[in-house]
Amino acid sequence: MKHRVRAATLAAAALALAACSTTAPTASGGGGDDVTTGNGVTDSGITIGMITDLSGPFAAGAAVQVTETQAYWDQVNADGGICDRDVTVDVQDHGYDPQRAVTLYRSMAPDVVALQQVLGGPTSAAVLPLAEQDGVYVGGVGWAGSALAYENNQLPGASNAIQAANAVDYMVDELDVPEGSSIGVVYFTGDYGGDALAGAEHAAEERGLEVVAQEITSQTTDLSAQASALAQADVAGVVLAAAPTQLASLAGVLSAQGADVPIIGMNPTFNPSLLTTPAADALLANAYSMTSVSPYDNADSAGVQAANELYASAAPDGAVGWEVPLAYVQAELLKQALEGACESGDLTPEGVVAAFRDGGEVDTEGVLPDGLDYSEVGQSPTTTVFVSKVSRDAEAGLELLDQVSGPSAESFSYGG
Amino acid sequence: MFELPKKLVGLVLLLVALALPFVLTDFWLQTGLFVMATAVGAVGLTLLVGVAGQLSLGHAAFAAIGAYVYAFTTGESTTTVEGLGLPPLLGLVLAALVAAGVGAAFSPVAGRLRGIYLGLATLGLVFVVRHLLVNLDDWTGGFVGRSVEPFAVPGFSFSNRDPDYLAIAGVEFEGLHRLWYLFVLVAVLAIWLASNIRSGRTGRAWANVRDSETAAAAMGVGVAGAKRSAFVVSSAYAGMAGAMLALAYGRVAPDVFSLTASVDYLVMIVLGGLGSVAGAVVGAVFVTSLPLVLAQYSSALPFLAAPGSGGLDPSTASRIVYGLAIIAVLVFLRGGLAGAAGRLRGRLTGSRAGAAPTPAVDRPVAGDPPRSKETTR
Amino acid sequence: MSYFLEQVLNGLSYGLVLSLIAAGFAIVFTSTGVLNFAHGSIVLLGAYLVAVLHDTIGFWPAVLVGLLGAAVVGVLINMLLVRHLADPNPGTAAILMLGVDIVLLTELTRRIGNQVLTLGAPWGASVVRLGDVTLPTGRVLAAGVTVVAFAGLWYLFSRTDLGVGMRAAAADGPTASLMGIRLSRTAATGWALAGILAAVAGIFLTSFPAPGVAPTVALSAFAAIPAWVLGGFDSVPGAVVGGLLIGLTSALVTGYEAELEPFLGAGFGEVAPYVVMIVVLLVRPSGLMGSKEAVRV
Repeated sequence: MKHRVRAATLAAAALALAACSTTAPTASGGGGDDVTTGNGVTDSGITIGMITDLSGPFAAGAAVQVTETQAYWDQVNADGGICDRDVTVDVQDHGYDPQRAVTLYRSMAPDVVALQQVLGGPTSAAVLPLAEQDGVYVGGVGWAGSALAYENNQLPGASNAIQAANAVDYMVDELDVPEGSSIGVVYFTGDYGGDALAGAEHAAEERGLEVVAQEITSQTTDLSAQASALAQADVAGVVLAAAPTQLASLAGVLSAQGADVPIIGMNPTFNPSLLTTPAADALLANAYSMTSVSPYDNADSAGVQAANELYASAAPDGAVGWEVPLAYVQAELLKQALEGACESGDLTPEGVVAAFRDGGEVDTEGVLPDGLDYSEVGQSPTTTVFVSKVSRDAEAGLELLDQVSGPSAESFSYGG
Repeated sequence: MFELPKKLVGLVLLLVALALPFVLTDFWLQTGLFVMATAVGAVGLTLLVGVAGQLSLGHAAFAAIGAYVYAFTTGESTTTVEGLGLPPLLGLVLAALVAAGVGAAFSPVAGRLRGIYLGLATLGLVFVVRHLLVNLDDWTGGFVGRSVEPFAVPGFSFSNRDPDYLAIAGVEFEGLHRLWYLFVLVAVLAIWLASNIRSGRTGRAWANVRDSETAAAAMGVGVAGAKRSAFVVSSAYAGMAGAMLALAYGRVAPDVFSLTASVDYLVMIVLGGLGSVAGAVVGAVFVTSLPLVLAQYSSALPFLAAPGSGGLDPSTASRIVYGLAIIAVLVFLRGGLAGAAGRLRGRLTGSRAGAAPTPAVDRPVAGDPPRSKETTR
Repeated sequence: MSYFLEQVLNGLSYGLVLSLIAAGFAIVFTSTGVLNFAHGSIVLLGAYLVAVLHDTIGFWPAVLVGLLGAAVVGVLINMLLVRHLADPNPGTAAILMLGVDIVLLTELTRRIGNQVLTLGAPWGASVVRLGDVTLPTGRVLAAGVTVVAFAGLWYLFSRTDLGVGMRAAAADGPTASLMGIRLSRTAATGWALAGILAAVAGIFLTSFPAPGVAPTVALSAFAAIPAWVLGGFDSVPGAVVGGLLIGLTSALVTGYEAELEPFLGAGFGEVAPYVVMIVVLLVRPSGLMGSKEAVRV
């Protein structure tokens, strides 16, 4: 027995020593140019990561984003790459499970220079603090205000609170919602909905409105009870921070009860397939969308056109929607950060974060509003959002009306 | 005759566990941490369900309590969340104690209900705890959760700092490596304790109550007390598992302790073989690591479609494989994974097949033969 | 007052749909002792079949296919998997169903994608007005269909040989078997009935006021678990009472969220059913209408 123990100990020690020699650090070469490199960058290639949801509740929309992102970087490579290096995207699926997201991050972190996307609220909340410790850029986590506190996170446009504040401003300024009336706020439990509620409450106070709040979850697909409560409170408009099923149900029931009031949804609340549901007429009459990213149908934006063409050639039969310009612009933001890091000679994870935070010009050719400012950690990069109306004539069902930046959105401040 | 090889196997496994951080990448270390944390929880649940015969679908609720107690007691107060700033070791102990206390408070319910009724009442507990976690945001940080203080003893932190650089035999020991050893220690203690409880006086009393409350009472076992103690011990295990999960994540959020997490614990002990401590550990390895490993390596499978193309993509395929694996184990392996391993060992050593019959939680499935009324195993 | 009435009617009609699902749980549990974790996927499957078929074969034939499809899948699960469990007991059976649920739900989610599939139900978004109260036509229909379905179940269980046999098998399987009742037949009937009820519920849960078929519908089965439990595990009438109670509770808690929020926290509507369930179980450990026999260990 004793002998065996000793033998096993020796074996373990031998194993450790053997391991020590194989896991000896390999110095990352600077290469032929003067650029400092780190994780995920070699002389000929750059690897970026994407931890997304390909088997969970957001799989379908996430797949559109993966397709568009791949197509984007393929084109960048065809045009000569970044810093004379080809960009490879390592796509992994967390299935909306935070445990998987964290382990995938651990396995990916040593080999990537930045994360193009960590999709989902709980999943990105689990990964963001780890990535912040490691100084790794994280894009594409949605628009919740809680993500703004991370220096390493780049938000694609205005945060949820800014969208909701703009929604309230737009109701008062353009949709004849009178001062002193009530508005409904129907929101998902969680960071997305909670942030939108904060923005709407701030704006309602500024504009002299009463808020009737209704909290729901993604499992609430029948909003009859909520709609009755809103109709009872005689609301003059509704801000909705939820998903497409909730928009259709709420619009349908409110309209059936004779409450034909405007309903303004945040970023992901519209989907073109809603126009085949029984609620289509109610949606066409009353539904608006307040988005950080331009809707799919935007002839005036060269960026959106480029995004759509890219997608059309990559997936001719793919479902079109707001994910296409979003994925494109997320890749565009990371590309500009990588280029900035290359120019300043520091193509390391920390260098990429520093590059997008340095306050330089960000031009997305109209996919995001102009004048994005990423220099202040903790605040939304812009107060401008896109307003669209549900329409049968527009591609992907949303017709762009305007870009707005309302007074309440401008006076909103996080932590203030 | 049978004892010595068993101990030896345990010793070898322990040595392997101690040596692994020298060779594993971060991915495997992180996976290992999750496996050890959930294994502690599963061992606790198998004592309750397998040994004492009380079905619980609320294990994640007690894990959540442990995780948040650790985060709250050890964390510092900030502008958004409060914390007590206690030493981490105390926090770890409190995590188990408070979870046990809540288990004790819930045990009047557990005493009144049996089998599947108890299981579904505890399922309600998951939703109630989740509601509290989201709404008591001064303590919990609400939906987005709060960060967790790394474990530390004076002069040594189980994180990337203090000492900032530590290398053993040329391998740099970062937070993941250091936590690994803490987790191995806790897991080994938990398993050892559970085996002793199971084969000791307490475990025999629980098993008696499981098989027949009337018979147990006639033999002088305090039925209500036995049920309560099983519930309390299992809750303490869950609390410890929760605190370990919190450490492994570095963060706690209500979504980590969902209904799915609760059901996963049940999957672990049933797949492993109900009532077997080793089975619970094997089940935890299976349930926790399989989805992680499948997610990591599924994209290497060449015959699957690209994501978004509408075909069967690797991610969907790996999820389906996971579901099919559960079905296959239950249909083909009598006594679960541990039972199958026991038979395999029996065949190799030529001795009698060692798989014990699995105790039923509630009434038997219609048409199956009456199960044996074995009281001690 | 009409607001209160509207919320009550909303709650009761939703509760009746829940009770269809709850009755499915109860029937599968009494006929085969299985806690059917895959019930939600079967609800989704029924609705999905109707959604993809209504364009080509028309709504009513699609409904027929949806009902039959859900029933057949239920029967097959029982025949091919549950009856071949290595250790047949309620614990392994429940986990087996969880595995089935993962497979079914993943595949259905992949097929649905991010579309909201419409059912093409002929009642569309129309509403029925009763004085000041408006109710979606779909809901009124759901209430009617549910009442008919439960009348049918009552007839089956109390007036037909098959139904009486099922009750005998549920009460004491081995004895029933000795008396010439074929357990395989009663079990298959139970699974088929549960599948049909699930598909009916799925159709009403995905037509107006809900917009269409989305994967989250599968989760609505979990909302029916408190209804099933507090009614009593082995009682179909209990499932009806439980469904109504849960439907009413959620509608009222949601409808008066503004008044309740300071005491109960936001979003209490999601938890309320489970709180009611725990309270009922504390007072009556075998549910409102369950028989005490069902919990004998």
